[in-house]
Amino acid sequence: MTCLAILGPLAAAAAILILRRGAAALALLGAGVGLVAALATLARVASGERYSAVLPGLPELPLRLVAEPLTAVLAVAVAIASALILTYAAGYMRGERGGPRFFAGMSFFVAAMQALVFAGDWVLLLASWELIGLSSYLLIGFWYRRPGVGSAATRAFLYTRTADLGLYVAVFVLIWQAGTSEISRTLETGGTAAVVAGLLLLVAAAGKSAQAPLYGWLQDAMVGPTPVSALLHSATLVAAGAILLIRAFPLLPEEALLVAGLLGGITAVITGVIAVAQGDLKRLLAASTSSQYGLMLLAVGAGSPVAALFHLVAHAAMKSSLFLGAGVFQSARGSTAFGDLAGVGRGHRLTFAGFTVAGLALAGLPPLSGFFSKDAVLAAAFESERAWLLVPPALLATALTGVYVARALRLLWRGEGGGAPVSGAWWMGGGLTPFVVLAASLGLAGEPLARLLGAEIPQDLLSAILGLAAALLGLSFGWTLSGGRMPGPLLTSAERGFRIGSGFYGLVARPALALAAALDLLDRGLHGKITTAVGRGAPSAAHLVDLSDRGLHRAVFGVGRASLEVARATRVSDESGIDGAIRALVRGTRRLGGQARELQTGLIHRELLIAVAAGALVLAALAVGAIGAGGGL
Amino acid sequence: MLPIVSITLFLPLLGAAVLVALPGVSARIAHAIGVSFSGLALLGAFWMWARGAGEGFSQIEEVEWIPSLGAAYRVGVDGISLPLVLMTAILFFVSMVFSAGVRERARSYVALFLLLETASIGVFVALDAILFYVFFEVTLVGMYFIIAGWGYEDRQRAALTFFIYTLLGSLPLLLAILALYLGSDPNTFDMRELIASPPLTGLAATLALIAMLVTFFVKIPVIPVHTWLPAAHVEAPTAGSVILAGVLLKLGTYGLVRFALQMTPDAFRALAPIVAGVAVVSALYGAFVALAQTDLKRMVAYTSVNHMGYLVLGVAVAAAAADPNAGVLALDGAVLQMVAHGFVTGALFLLVGMLQDRAHTREMGDFSGLLRIVPALGWAFVLAAFASLGLPGLAHFPAEFQIFLGALGVYPAAVIAVLGIAVTAGLYLRAIQAVFLGEARDEWTGLKDLGTRELLSLVPLLALTVLLGVAPFLVLDVVHATTQGILP
Repeated sequence: MTCLAILGPLAAAAAILILRRGAAALALLGAGVGLVAALATLARVASGERYSAVLPGLPELPLRLVAEPLTAVLAVAVAIASALILTYAAGYMRGERGGPRFFAGMSFFVAAMQALVFAGDWVLLLASWELIGLSSYLLIGFWYRRPGVGSAATRAFLYTRTADLGLYVAVFVLIWQAGTSEISRTLETGGTAAVVAGLLLLVAAAGKSAQAPLYGWLQDAMVGPTPVSALLHSATLVAAGAILLIRAFPLLPEEALLVAGLLGGITAVITGVIAVAQGDLKRLLAASTSSQYGLMLLAVGAGSPVAALFHLVAHAAMKSSLFLGAGVFQSARGSTAFGDLAGVGRGHRLTFAGFTVAGLALAGLPPLSGFFSKDAVLAAAFESERAWLLVPPALLATALTGVYVARALRLLWRGEGGGAPVSGAWWMGGGLTPFVVLAASLGLAGEPLARLLGAEIPQDLLSAILGLAAALLGLSFGWTLSGGRMPGPLLTSAERGFRIGSGFYGLVARPALALAAALDLLDRGLHGKITTAVGRGAPSAAHLVDLSDRGLHRAVFGVGRASLEVARATRVSDESGIDGAIRALVRGTRRLGGQARELQTGLIHRELLIAVAAGALVLAALAVGAIGAGGGL
Repeated sequence: MLPIVSITLFLPLLGAAVLVALPGVSARIAHAIGVSFSGLALLGAFWMWARGAGEGFSQIEEVEWIPSLGAAYRVGVDGISLPLVLMTAILFFVSMVFSAGVRERARSYVALFLLLETASIGVFVALDAILFYVFFEVTLVGMYFIIAGWGYEDRQRAALTFFIYTLLGSLPLLLAILALYLGSDPNTFDMRELIASPPLTGLAATLALIAMLVTFFVKIPVIPVHTWLPAAHVEAPTAGSVILAGVLLKLGTYGLVRFALQMTPDAFRALAPIVAGVAVVSALYGAFVALAQTDLKRMVAYTSVNHMGYLVLGVAVAAAAADPNAGVLALDGAVLQMVAHGFVTGALFLLVGMLQDRAHTREMGDFSGLLRIVPALGWAFVLAAFASLGLPGLAHFPAEFQIFLGALGVYPAAVIAVLGIAVTAGLYLRAIQAVFLGEARDEWTGLKDLGTRELLSLVPLLALTVLLGVAPFLVLDVVHATTQGILP
């Protein structure tokens, strides 16, 4: 049954590619099957069952799927988000070409994500980790004919794959330490290996979850269709990073936790500022995603993976609502730039209401879900031994969330209403509404979630008050930001996303390309040099052998000579067979030698060529004769 | 029992003989003969696969030849050579199907390919060192004529480079074989004997190993003796490139396992750190130089240097491993890498050839937006490229995963080689973006998508790429049974 959570979407993807019709219906069917399977798994797990399956993989490293509270909860979150987003996409993609490609890609994406969630061994986890990278590459590049789309897809894949090297090496270290690839047993690793593996896992997670300094790709990825962005940010690619750390939490030693907390805090603040400066709604949401995942990393660093999980689930509902709302506005105005979206909220009041609820939830207003989940993160930071390091960025990020949410709401509301009618509005509404309901109400899910996982959600009155104060302060400041612009010199830099140096391109891609070009030059030089050396070296080698009086060298040379004699004899007697072929070759070589000399004067001497080539070939072809002579010595 | 190994081995040669005996046949009939005989050989290879291989050598066929010298016609397979035989038969079959479009001197072309097929299979099934050497050399002659006769503009120089390089390169192997022969007691060329009780020790073993390494490194190729490869590939006809990369490079890696690892194990253990170092440098070097290429065929050629670097690393790890688990893991990966590289790079060279047939250029910069114009070709390239960059679910991933995992257990520093997978990702994505994404230029809007003959040659390779990625155990179970017995 549990397998259907993976196989349902996977079969849908295959069916769509084969049938090439009814793509949306098939994708929804696959997602529905997956959802039922995930819910059934959760029900079984909630009743105390734990089970796993072993599949054939590599020798001694079988693939495993495990159903336990954490994997079941995540599977349900992924299944719900994907089913709703696909419902929405049925409307959003109406009238777009390439529907089968889109829905097959989305279904495959979901299947790969469920495989990652249920993975009970590192090989399967690593495999699905890379496959969600492939899926996002294909989906971000969906409109591949448009300018800039190809490079954005390429960048997304390269960023994340470069960071994935951390996961590769971490997995190798863990497997060697534990002697098994089973995740639960490798998590008992301790000592230096745990520090190394923990930090490497952090690198991989930072790449996928768009943490500093690897967040640039996520904003560029906004060129993909909006449902893709929603899926990426809520439950799949970006979520995978946080999920990895939540699952690997028992492994993480103090050092790794410290780095995770710091990295999360820094990212939450930096990308929060970036979000405030954006002039495009989708790019704002993308920066906001980095910021919120920064808070999850901070929670992990504070020692409370359950707070991170709670925020992950709530964020999935909130961010999906925001993206799907943004998609409606996009359909109405044909753009997501704030300049084009002014007043769009007045024309689509229902959507705007949903967008507002989700936005306020994200900002952390009670009684919406974000208040509870963010409070859990804040409380975790307060309780942590490193509170002095973690609390300030957490509060600052909370305030920044309020600022960009309020600013976005105001920009969407102020101005003339109206816009083109939105096609497929029913489907889009059908996907969006449940998300908004979830975004509002998921705060209630905290307690049952904690009970299921056997953990406690951190709660703290002081942190709740301070968090709420920060959120309100941020919201009111955001609403009053004149024209929604940031002051002074920060603006340009923040709008571009604080790319250190010139970002990934300057720091990694350009040096790599320069090294490649240098090695290529070397290689072209090497070719000439080595060919020349072979041409020059051969006569001296032959000379040496000729002079040498002792040992195997002489024997072999004698062999060579003997074979040459035999060959000469055969040549006289026999015009056909091997000998004919050899002579043809010699003739050919002679002719080629002449041509080669014309091409590269002095490179290879004709006589030498003929002597060496013919001699050696005869030696080879008449190996039997060679043995006769060799055996006699 | 039917001597199915020998039948499979000599069927292509029989086809070549038929062609030689039929002067003046049309190109059509020549290709029909080529496809049928390579098809029959493929059936034979499947039959061998169905019979399976155990831990040691099986399906042995032996005929006395020169008993006083201990040389005989001996063939057979084990878990390492059996997958390679099947891969070789598949690659030759699809090459013959793809080549059916060649009109120029088709009879000689097909005959040479069939000769080359017998020689290649012969290298993998030979259990006699002299037989091995003869087949090893004959492949050289076949490929020389194919490049020189049917290659592109600068083919003759490329063929000559290829020829001199690998010919001079293979002489040391003969020396090593003679040394092994003279060292064995009683003197024999029986590879099973030479493997069961390695005859050389000390300095002699080291010298023999160095001689073998020279030969196999040129063939594989490993830097700095790889420079014949891009030249040969760029000028070779498409099917020639498929065979060159898919099969002929594996002669070197197979020899590295069969001779260097199995016949001089102690010397190899001593030299393993150096070999591993060279392999890592080669892998990274190949990846970076590939990144600098703008000619698609040269780019794919250099990625072979990268993939072969991983493979050699796997063999070196197997030679050095004190922990047999690590060694077996790396060797399993290395053997799987040979098979995976055959299918994936074969498909890539076919695709680049198909592109060149249509556009008469291979420069990335000359193209754009082809995915819309030729979707089947484009998606096939995307699939093959992702396979080559090591995406899970496709053939290279399980192989490279095992190699890296084994390497980390023995030479932790060698794990730097994983950087290569980021670089190959970069170069393939760049190629895809340049050639297939964006808006198509007007000059390419008339290009035709893949035809039946092209699909027939391509789809099997892509299907096998996926199959190997999803179910690597189909091959690894066979390999594993043997590798477990090889390493102590």
